[in-house]
Amino acid sequence: MLKRRPRPILYVLVALSALISFFPIIWLILTSVKTQAGVYAWPPQYWPDPFTAKNYVAIFTKSPELLRSILNSFIVGTGVTVVVLVLGGMAGYALSRLRLRFAGPTMILILAVSMFPPVSLLPAIFQNFLQLGLLNTYAGLIIAHSGLFLPIAVWMLSSYFGTLPIELEEAARMDGMGYLRIFLTVILPLSWPGFVATGLIVFIFSWNEFPLSLVLMTQSAMRTAPVAISLYPGEYSFPWETISTATVLAIIPILAVTAIFQKQIVGGLTAGIGK
Amino acid sequence: MAQVRLQNLGKTYGALSVVRGVDLSIDDGEFVVLLGPSGCGKSTTLRMIAGLETINEGELTINGTRMNDVDPKDRGVAMVFQNYALYPHKTVFDNMAMALKLSHVARPEIQRRVAEVAEMLGLTPYLERKPAALSGGQRQRVAIGRAIVRTPEVFLFDEPLSNLDAKLRVKMRMELQQLHRRLGVTSIYVTHDQVEAMTMADRIVIMDAGEVAQVGTPRDVYDRPANFFVAGFIGSPAMNFLTLRRAGEGWQAEGAALCLPALPFDTGKLDRLTLGIRPEHIEVGDQTTGPWCFDAKVELAELLGADALLNLGVDGVEMLARVNGTAHPERGDSLRVKLPPDLLHAFDPATGGALPRKA
Ligand SMILES: Nc1ncnc2c1ncn2[C@@H]1O[C@H](COP(=O)(O)OP(=O)(O)O)[C@@H](O)[C@H]1O
Ligand SMILES: [Mg+2]
Repeated sequence: MLKRRPRPILYVLVALSALISFFPIIWLILTSVKTQAGVYAWPPQYWPDPFTAKNYVAIFTKSPELLRSILNSFIVGTGVTVVVLVLGGMAGYALSRLRLRFAGPTMILILAVSMFPPVSLLPAIFQNFLQLGLLNTYAGLIIAHSGLFLPIAVWMLSSYFGTLPIELEEAARMDGMGYLRIFLTVILPLSWPGFVATGLIVFIFSWNEFPLSLVLMTQSAMRTAPVAISLYPGEYSFPWETISTATVLAIIPILAVTAIFQKQIVGGLTAGIGK
Repeated sequence: MAQVRLQNLGKTYGALSVVRGVDLSIDDGEFVVLLGPSGCGKSTTLRMIAGLETINEGELTINGTRMNDVDPKDRGVAMVFQNYALYPHKTVFDNMAMALKLSHVARPEIQRRVAEVAEMLGLTPYLERKPAALSGGQRQRVAIGRAIVRTPEVFLFDEPLSNLDAKLRVKMRMELQQLHRRLGVTSIYVTHDQVEAMTMADRIVIMDAGEVAQVGTPRDVYDRPANFFVAGFIGSPAMNFLTLRRAGEGWQAEGAALCLPALPFDTGKLDRLTLGIRPEHIEVGDQTTGPWCFDAKVELAELLGADALLNLGVDGVEMLARVNGTAHPERGDSLRVKLPPDLLHAFDPATGGALPRKA
């Protein structure tokens, strides 16, 4: 038997790797409460001196376009999540349970398609969206992102469905339910952790997605947060404190939701991996 | 009240044939057990009756109506699964009421029927609980209750007790028997446990590699196994087999000195056959002499409690005998054994079929 003793080295390593992964975020948050002078001070200021909330006030009063971009990201992310969960849920269920003849190859194909770099899809998407009038519309970016992130959702959800006992559905069939009713009243209520995990990942992916958002949303009022923040620097200045503040505001929703649902995310990500 | 008929029923997955030529006619109120080793096609057969698997070949009729293409819910069958298959997010009441709700039975009627069945199964205190808050035995009772509430024509059970511990299994087995006596509903019960089969069945259907090996009452399959497979499968410990060669009037064990007199079987022109004798039928310590008595040496003795198992060497042939556990012989003892000719079985080694006894 291996003895499980707390090992100090292990704790140090964990603390160190946590610090390294969190350093950018800590730096970001600290920068958002520094004054402009503090940001450009030399030697660099590690601890804000003085603390200021001015940047936050400024964002709300002077840079409505950044707030607007956060809202855009939120709208797009929510739309994508809904679309992907609905379609991915149905596709994942069909692929995992209906004993379709080509379920295996279909899953591989879906995975293969998702390997294309998004940029390679850009010319085709751009030209079609241009003709369809979908540029600079929420619907356009939602469609594009949905296509991008549907594969991972299908994979995650179908592996989650795979963990539910098949007899449950058979019992439901004996009870007189059809496939749709089984899906809605048996599968959905039991697989919400999988849906939460998948939804969150899709939301985060959509929130972070850059190349398509950059090209499909060109009007400044329609930009998403990552694009707006990266384009924010003015011609001569580089207002790091404002950028940091906007970024903090942009990641807060994600951090909050992730914290709330972290158990489901871990469960959902590891579902179907052995047992 | 229902008669179930399977005619030449078969199931294939692609090129793989898992069930073939199953013919079976089940009478109203009969309790039939499908018994066989794991993977022999019992569940597949049951699931074809349930409508959970399509029937590739043959015909299934219930009360004379062809059911091959009828939806599971319209066949008048209810099924109890091995792992209960209760809806984890619904209460016991809702689990039991689901089928009635789906077939639009009026609410008061549902209440009445669920309450009645819950009372019968001792589930009344648990109606508002979720399955997770029940023990294994209680969950299986709910699963059984869910089947009863529908008042089906046929009950189907797929190894319903194999997830329970040994003690509970015996208790539930008896409850199921009482329930069957009380309700009298035609039942088809799948198990790989021969004790369950022997104790519960009116008739046992023994399956081997997708085919029916024998259909008969528990007594039939124990006393008169139709073939080598059934003989070896029914009974625990398993029947002793020895290969014999014709030697003049009598028979000699292959590769051993043991010689037997003329056998009471229609051996026809066979010059080799497989002889079977159950461990519990070997008489040990019998001092009388006769053509069926032999010298034996105890090579190993195991006390099981009430019984003891003896590994015997009988003129070069290994045999297992089951004897009374009180004052049983020990390792190294020499003794006499008798192989009672009335309790011997003989099989054609080529076909496995049992040889008929001489009239
Ligand atoms: N969906 C399937 N595809 C291919 N083979 C299957 C499938 N379902 C069952 N089988 C095979 O059919 C045989 C019989 O299975 P089953 O009826 O479950 O056996 P039992 O219940 O007697 O243990 C097994 O060999 C099993 O591997
Ligand atoms: Mg089985």
